[in-house]
Amino acid sequence: MTPTEWAIVALALVGAFFGGVAAVGIVRLPDVYTRAHAASKSDTLGAVLTISAAALALQTDLSTIKAVFLLAFMFLTNPTAAHAIARAAQDQGIEPWTAGDEEGER
Amino acid sequence: MPLDDSVTVRNTVAYAVEQAETTARDSQQQVALHLVVVASTRAVDPEAQAELGDAKSLLDRAEVWVEEDLGADPPTNLDVTFEITGADRYLFSPGDYADAILAYAADNDIGQVVLDPEFNPGGTTPMLRPLEVELARDDVTVVTAPVERPARSTALARAATLPKYGTVFGISYLFYLLLSTYKPLDFLTGAITAAIVSGLLAPIAFSRQPSLTRIPKQLARLAIYVPYLIKEIAVANVQIAYVVLHPSLPIDPKIVKFEAAVWGDAPVTTLANSITLTPGTLTVSVSERAFDIHSLTADVRGDLFEGGLERAVRFVFYGREAAAIPSPRERGQGEDEDAGSSGDPEVPADG
Repeated sequence: MTPTEWAIVALALVGAFFGGVAAVGIVRLPDVYTRAHAASKSDTLGAVLTISAAALALQTDLSTIKAVFLLAFMFLTNPTAAHAIARAAQDQGIEPWTAGDEEGER
Repeated sequence: MPLDDSVTVRNTVAYAVEQAETTARDSQQQVALHLVVVASTRAVDPEAQAELGDAKSLLDRAEVWVEEDLGADPPTNLDVTFEITGADRYLFSPGDYADAILAYAADNDIGQVVLDPEFNPGGTTPMLRPLEVELARDDVTVVTAPVERPARSTALARAATLPKYGTVFGISYLFYLLLSTYKPLDFLTGAITAAIVSGLLAPIAFSRQPSLTRIPKQLARLAIYVPYLIKEIAVANVQIAYVVLHPSLPIDPKIVKFEAAVWGDAPVTTLANSITLTPGTLTVSVSERAFDIHSLTADVRGDLFEGGLERAVRFVFYGREAAAIPSPRERGQGEDEDAGSSGDPEVPADG
């Protein structure tokens, strides 16, 4: 395998790992705010790494440019969506879970 | 009365003077009329000189108007004062302006504020409460001058200028061409599409005049910022992965508040999004400059108040000097990480 191919595989694997972390986080974390963390960030990095792998794999193609645009828009929209969710939760009066609360209680 | 260069400012001054004159003639007490320009930028800001110059010329004009309105026989117990206020801080939203006006009113023992109906400092963004509402906090009477004003089309559409059209056209054309197949027809269709886009969007695309010197500088600094941000994201993501995968889930979530030393829509949005992107911190709500941030662990709270991101965002939008403003921790915030009582609510943005 060429170095590029190695890089593609590595990026895709690490991206998948962070995607997995996001999924695990959503299951394990206690409340809506902490879950928004997992959903917005690990997910962003996971998707970004995977798309980077795709961009590398496509090489000089026009699709690479499109992939780069995709990256930029993910960086812009993902945090905005997470912010919208968290803000909606706050407006609903949902108290954030703190370390003092019972495990498993929401 | 706060002054601004609006279409109805002349009539509002006339109304205020008339009110003051009537009061002065009816009572034996001393009546004071203050005409005040509220400056939005701090006096140290590079743009402040131009703004203060405008303010001075507006006050000069107001002085002439007042003389005109009072005529040859002004009441002896009427004092008229011309003043600039608010130059010691940045004002960003209607709430900030209300603060400045109320502070001035309190300092000078003023009981009534006359508002120009066209006085819309800090914008009329639907997200923000209008100035009238903000002013009602204090027990100062607020009167909007009953003057006729020309009907406006929409508050959203600002006057679109050639640079705005040019910038929007250029960006959309470039975007179109990047995604095209580079056939001659694409250049034509791209031009048509970009013309339609700029025609529709140029009036709402910018809040300020795009400047050929400022934007490339900001873009260049943005190019430095993005790798920094990506590095931060990568490092912090590893930390979060550790926390999430750790068997005992060592989290200590808490909402903290902090007052960011950034001003304006774009910098605040950038900072809010950057904070959300950096794992462990999530912007829950932003009101003017006050951020409510949900943080996952005590570590990331520490990082947040170290202010690295905030500093970087200031660097992007205002340049190197602004990056030297002290970090939130040095400004006395974040020591007590108790949600709701962190720091001084009126932290002055002193450099």
